[in-house]
Amino acid sequence: MPVELTIEQKNGHIAGRFFAMASDCEILVDSTDKRIAGQIIESLYTECLRIEKKYSRYRTDNIVYQINHAQSARVDIDTETYQLLNLAKTCYELSEGYFDITSGILGKVWSFDGSDCLADKKDVEELLSLVGFSKLNFDQTSITIPAGMALDFGGIAKEYAVDRCANKALALAPEISVLVNYGGDIAVSRPRLHSAYWQVGVAHPDPQKDTDVLVQIAQGGLATSGDANRFLLKDGVRYSHVLDPKTGQPIIDAPASVTVAGDNCTQAGLLSTMALLQGKNAERFLVEQTVKHWCIRLSHL
Amino acid sequence: MQLTKKTNIAAQLATATCVLLGSAQTHAAPTTSGEWQFDTAILYYGETDRVSLVEGVVSATKDFGDDHIFNGKITYDGLTGASATGAVAQDAVQTFSRPSGKGGYQVAANTTPLDDTFRDSRVQLNANWAQPFSSGIAGGVGVHISKEYDYFSAGLNGNLSFDFNQKNTTLSVGSSFQYDQIDPVGGKPIGLSSMPMRPYSDYDDDDEQSESENSDEFYDSAFTTQYQSREKSADKNTLDVLVGLTQVLNRRTIMQVNYGLSVADGYLNDPYKLLSVVDTTGVTQDIVFEERPDTRTKHNIFWQTKYAMNNGVVDVSYRYMQDDWDIKSHTVESRLRFNVGESGYLQPHFRYYRQGAAEFYRPFLLANEALPEYASADYRLGEMTAYTLGIKYGQKRANGDAWAVRLEYYQQNPQNAGFAEPEALQQQDLYPSIKAMVLQFNYSF
Repeated sequence: MPVELTIEQKNGHIAGRFFAMASDCEILVDSTDKRIAGQIIESLYTECLRIEKKYSRYRTDNIVYQINHAQSARVDIDTETYQLLNLAKTCYELSEGYFDITSGILGKVWSFDGSDCLADKKDVEELLSLVGFSKLNFDQTSITIPAGMALDFGGIAKEYAVDRCANKALALAPEISVLVNYGGDIAVSRPRLHSAYWQVGVAHPDPQKDTDVLVQIAQGGLATSGDANRFLLKDGVRYSHVLDPKTGQPIIDAPASVTVAGDNCTQAGLLSTMALLQGKNAERFLVEQTVKHWCIRLSHL
Repeated sequence: MQLTKKTNIAAQLATATCVLLGSAQTHAAPTTSGEWQFDTAILYYGETDRVSLVEGVVSATKDFGDDHIFNGKITYDGLTGASATGAVAQDAVQTFSRPSGKGGYQVAANTTPLDDTFRDSRVQLNANWAQPFSSGIAGGVGVHISKEYDYFSAGLNGNLSFDFNQKNTTLSVGSSFQYDQIDPVGGKPIGLSSMPMRPYSDYDDDDEQSESENSDEFYDSAFTTQYQSREKSADKNTLDVLVGLTQVLNRRTIMQVNYGLSVADGYLNDPYKLLSVVDTTGVTQDIVFEERPDTRTKHNIFWQTKYAMNNGVVDVSYRYMQDDWDIKSHTVESRLRFNVGESGYLQPHFRYYRQGAAEFYRPFLLANEALPEYASADYRLGEMTAYTLGIKYGQKRANGDAWAVRLEYYQQNPQNAGFAEPEALQQQDLYPSIKAMVLQFNYSF
């Protein structure tokens, strides 16, 4: 999978592929017109890179870096950032504090490498004082966060990019179905013309299996949250890479993978993350929310 | 994470993400089931000196999600008044038996004979289910049942629609089957047989009981025997098939073309309709019951175009119907909808209808000619033009409910389809016009 964009003619559609947001990305255009498909793919590729650049926490030239290094000073934000913060706030409230974009800092003391290496309790407790969305102060034009705290849009930005790109595709070509798949987070701009659905392969949640799982999607969004490659295993207990922001400890007994179909990719992604945070109650949560979902649990024991 | 409150997080996230994405919901996703939606209507239809009808409708619709929609409807009609029997006016008083055979009534000179025993109420129940099957294919099924004093009807229907050409074209096919049973008051009269008459009596318009005092036993028993020997009920079956094509022409225009075939088989007479048998001078010699063929095949072609203006909708349609009774009809109809203010609309309505007579339509029969195989003087089978002029105003309320009121004027002008009139009938109005007003009020919540 190349970093640079490649476009190729497939059987009945045109596919664009690139690597971004730490994922293999693909854009499928339900057209055989190379010129139009090329325009769509390049616009979406540009949009994807824009969002990655703006919200990656591994860069030093973006708004996230500015906010995280402001040392309690006020930082001006634009409308897009305000809207993402607002969505994060909604999720924080709906999940009663479990979905928290300030919890990424806890990752400092945890390395989820499949080993039995749990974090030191004291380290975790120190970091907990730097976690809590309610400690942020933001409005439409600016944000102030306590020194030491950090925002991580990782749980939202990729799904957001998928939806932005699907919407952009719809605006560019209202009559052409476009599937946007960034690392298994998927949205379709509109139904296909000549077949009922798109069929795409997404990585199998079990890293032992190198076959893709085929997914059929007609419209809407699909997102997967999982820890297939990122977990700790100690005394027969599987520790998820998803951390409980209230205790700083990994969620126990979460499914290896949760896939949710939703109105759009962002909604599906948030629901799948919230389901993981439910641990052993993940399936029950999704049933209660009456969303279409697939949970996979693996036995490594 | 163990949530303490059970809230619909999925729905709230759907809303929140749509705000974020700055768009209306572009992804049609599985919708959750909605609330019951009720539509109610009350309609008054009144003809001058003829029939008046009050109809109430309550319709309930529920979307069970993903366009799986149920609709149930109950309709009540209350009908009173009189309609033309088909007999011609005379320059002398005429006497008729009531359909039941129990008594009779008199019609004044130079007056169109009306059957004023018209009093009925009808209840109809409908149920329909519609759902999509797969991408671009949807279908529905329905049943109805209706009952009035002398009539019972039940039917089944089904339809399928196929979208293609980027959903710009829809092909629809539908079919329905209906069974009707009529139990005419006084039994089923034999077509073209004479209306039984008592030999003499003081027939009274108002009080049927007074006839029971009638004395001539010989004629009286012969008279009642005619009714007793009649079949009590008759039925018919109707099969309808429809094929339609709907095409989106551009962003503002949609066009529809339908072909419909209807085949009816069974008792197609109106048991209460009569014909006068007149001599060469036009004086009535006999009154007979009508007789129609027992099959009828109708073809119709319907074309409709709707155009969306900036502040309203233009809707124009045309229908051509032809059947094997040789009736041909043309209907031109137009509705213009103008938006008024934020939430209201005004809709003028115009309809013009023109019909040629059935081949067996006869305004009267001549006594010196042989009885035809079929004959009916029912004005609904004769040559006529009709038009409707109406206006409707509707408004959506702040709470989402909607109401509308409709007022229409209808006039039907039957015409002579080329029958020479004997002298005594020339001074009579054999083709009286019917004028009616319709007032309807709708409320949806």
